[in-house]
Amino acid sequence: MVKGRLILSGFILIAGLLAVVHLYPSEEKKIKKQFSLLAKWISVEQNENVFTIAHKMKNMGDLFTDKVNLKIPDYHLSGEYSRSDIISYASRARLPFSQFTLQFHDFHMAFPDSETVRVTVTGRITGKWLKEEALEETRELDWILKKVGKEWLFREMEVVEVLKK
Amino acid sequence: MSVATKILRPFFFPSFTSGFFIRMGTVALSAYLFFGYLCIPFWVRGASMEPTYMDGEFNFCWRGRYFFSEPKRYDVVTVRFAGTKVMLLKRVVALEGEQVEFRNGKLFVDGREEEEPYIRFPGNWNLPVRQVAQGCVYVVGDHRGMPMENHYFGQASKIRIMGGPVW
Repeated sequence: MVKGRLILSGFILIAGLLAVVHLYPSEEKKIKKQFSLLAKWISVEQNENVFTIAHKMKNMGDLFTDKVNLKIPDYHLSGEYSRSDIISYASRARLPFSQFTLQFHDFHMAFPDSETVRVTVTGRITGKWLKEEALEETRELDWILKKVGKEWLFREMEVVEVLKK
Repeated sequence: MSVATKILRPFFFPSFTSGFFIRMGTVALSAYLFFGYLCIPFWVRGASMEPTYMDGEFNFCWRGRYFFSEPKRYDVVTVRFAGTKVMLLKRVVALEGEQVEFRNGKLFVDGREEEEPYIRFPGNWNLPVRQVAQGCVYVVGDHRGMPMENHYFGQASKIRIMGGPVW
């Protein structure tokens, strides 16, 4: 009887802890969620219609601050861009693909202050060009996110040169 | 009770004693540490190391390889990005301080043409001379038949070298 009560109390305690973790996610979890949303909105699925694309791009734009610093030497992008610039670049970048997915791995987070986080992450893109050729590229990315209200928004992004030709 | 039953039954249907859980925990933890940090399993994706390593092959990255030594020329190494989840598999062709260049697909290190017996798909790459910085090695894939622009290669910091494939 006592053993049964102990087991039941253990289960209730574990369920309670899981509920707390789920309802009050840590800052790390919130940040990782922003990355998974970015990957979701930037992805290209086959036969997407104009409305889906517009919806995705709008949602993707909402993940960024008003001004965003980018440094992507491979695509000759460097400097400060507005949110609408980001949407416009992303829309154009998605055009030649019939399928496109972005995945993030190996998150390393550092908090210089409570409103800023620096995230070093591996970004892997896979996809298919409209010409049916496959695409697979991996890069290390350095992001800075700022906390605006309750949300973490992307403020800076730099592609780290792992191999220097 | 036969011998088979005596041995097989406790193996496949063990009694859940505290000893069993301790053994299981130890095995799980050892496997996690060994395969997570020391001998990392990976699939080869892409054709940049063909024919030495073919697309879709399975292997392990042995991290102990450079615990007490430095990468040598012609070693095949794994280079990490932000972590070890996705890594590059490349061959070291030049060491720090050396000058490396490609002329009509031939590799030259310090002005001397290098023998590369592992190349089966030669190309016609041309890359002006550059010096490998201190603390770096120059890594390239074995598949030189692909266009140079599509091949990810260059100098990598030795800190990023995680080890080498087991076979």
